[in-house]
Amino acid sequence: MRLTKFIARRLLLAIPQILAITVVTFVILRILPGNPAYELVGPFATPDTLNAMEHHLGTDRPLPVQYGTYISDLLHGNWGDSWFSTRPVTDELKDRLPATLELITLSSLIIMLGGLLAGLLVALTRARFLDRGIAFYGLLSGSFPDFWLALALSYIFFFKLGWLPSPTGRLDIEVNPPQHVTGFYTVDSLLTQNWTAFRSAFSHLILPVLTLSIVYTAGIVKMTRSTVDEMLRSNMCTYARACGLPDRVVLRYALRNGLPPILTLMGLTYGYLLGGDVLVEKVFSWNGLGSYVVDSVVRADYSPVQAFVLLAAMANFLIYLVVDLTHLIVDPRLEY
Amino acid sequence: MIVSERITQRWQISNKRLPFLLGVVIVLGAVVMAIFSGLIARYGPEDADASRILLPPSTHNWLGTDINGSDIFSRIVWGARIDLTIALVSTLAGASVGTAIGVWSGFYFGRPGWTGWLSDAILRFMDVFQAFPIFVLALALVSSLGRNIYVVIYVLIALQIPIFVRLARSAVLHTRQETYIESARCAGNSELRLILFHVLPNSLTPTLVNGSVVAGQALLLTAGLSFVGAGVPAPTPEWGYMVAVGAPSLITGQWWAALFPGAVIGVIVLGFALVGDGIRAYLDPTTR
Repeated sequence: MRLTKFIARRLLLAIPQILAITVVTFVILRILPGNPAYELVGPFATPDTLNAMEHHLGTDRPLPVQYGTYISDLLHGNWGDSWFSTRPVTDELKDRLPATLELITLSSLIIMLGGLLAGLLVALTRARFLDRGIAFYGLLSGSFPDFWLALALSYIFFFKLGWLPSPTGRLDIEVNPPQHVTGFYTVDSLLTQNWTAFRSAFSHLILPVLTLSIVYTAGIVKMTRSTVDEMLRSNMCTYARACGLPDRVVLRYALRNGLPPILTLMGLTYGYLLGGDVLVEKVFSWNGLGSYVVDSVVRADYSPVQAFVLLAAMANFLIYLVVDLTHLIVDPRLEY
Repeated sequence: MIVSERITQRWQISNKRLPFLLGVVIVLGAVVMAIFSGLIARYGPEDADASRILLPPSTHNWLGTDINGSDIFSRIVWGARIDLTIALVSTLAGASVGTAIGVWSGFYFGRPGWTGWLSDAILRFMDVFQAFPIFVLALALVSSLGRNIYVVIYVLIALQIPIFVRLARSAVLHTRQETYIESARCAGNSELRLILFHVLPNSLTPTLVNGSVVAGQALLLTAGLSFVGAGVPAPTPEWGYMVAVGAPSLITGQWWAALFPGAVIGVIVLGFALVGDGIRAYLDPTTR
């Protein structure tokens, strides 16, 4: 019961923040130099047609009125239409969300597993050269641009070695996408046992996933190393060891108590990737949310950008909530 | 004996500070490159020779030429002016404004009356600002305000202020409850004097340590914006834009046009990070 109350309170607190985010997005986008009505009617339209189109789109009304309409539409489940494609934004998001989610979910899994294992290895062996190596890797991965790494990897693995397909899109041109189940090409092709599509989708995933993993694993490794190391040196673990408990059990204690900050960082990383993989998507012509938003900003297409920012904000609040809930499970002492 | 001991001693010290020194050398090297571009570069920033397209690195074109026939080495050197100016100016301005706001709001946090209320409001506002995906926010701001160097700098300042507000604020929350602040207050110092001469100087460590890292991040963001074509306008020698120009030739084997400018970005950001680490190690008595 207290748990539902905690969740309800958190969701209520999120509402004013999300509203504030929609206001800021709305205002920034209306300052964009493009005029969507002009883009739609073309350069040869008469002023009357242009006015009619502006009236139709509602862009001739005062900003507060436009914002009011936007919010009331939003509450009715209408996220607006893209002025470029004239399709509802929700449809376009549905098309592109799986591409991004497939990419960042797989990357996050590798980041979490790899980061946790590497961090544990360093904390357990306490080898100096491993420690140095991790620090060096952290510095390098944080310094080189992710789009540069993406390009370098595709040069090596596509042009030099020829092991992987060209870095363009999610499938080879001659391969048809698998039957739509979840929108994740790898999962769909496995479910429908379409092996050609699976091989193609998987080989196209490798490079972008590798890029994101290399860039974002460092944080988790360092966090795991320092928290587990601290825990292993704590009185609690010294006591457990003094009682004669096997190392395996001591490690379990240390890990369980060191987990909360690691979980937080993992949640943060996943939320960050949702908007932060834009450049990698661009390099690999990945038809996901990131490239959609960049193109929409450039075209002064308001609705998709508003929808994306709203989606990202909501996703981030949700991720924080889930992270906090897992804290409650991991650490029963916490109160909510 | 004594001499060899001295040498090892000296070597040990420099060994510990080697990363920091490397960082300083990189950053200073970049600054020298920016100041003396005209002397170091063999060609002008926008010189192009259509008969010398995509030539591999040679003794004449040290880092090769790009698709327009421009010398990549020269453009990288000229690019230092653009990229370093953006990164350093925006970080200095962002750090000054952000620290001022952060120190003020940290000092008055929890006070009754309008000061406490404003301090809280500032924090909430920064929360909203930071909830945005940072790259998309930067992209939207730059596209809406116009694509030129000044706008990129203003946008970066706006994005960095919340970072520095947080750094200064959390440091001040610790500092303000120190005994020496209390005694300074008892000695009759005014609030303004307390903030300026007692709280502020004792709360700058996190800002100094992170400032260098933030400058590196600003450089990465600038390059990223230009990479998608939304940063500094086209023919300007900007490193991110140079990577974008070189990218299409990469999958046909001409790697130098994209990979050299990007590597320069990486090395300089690395330099900033090493300087930050060095300052951290110096200011932290447990690792000194």
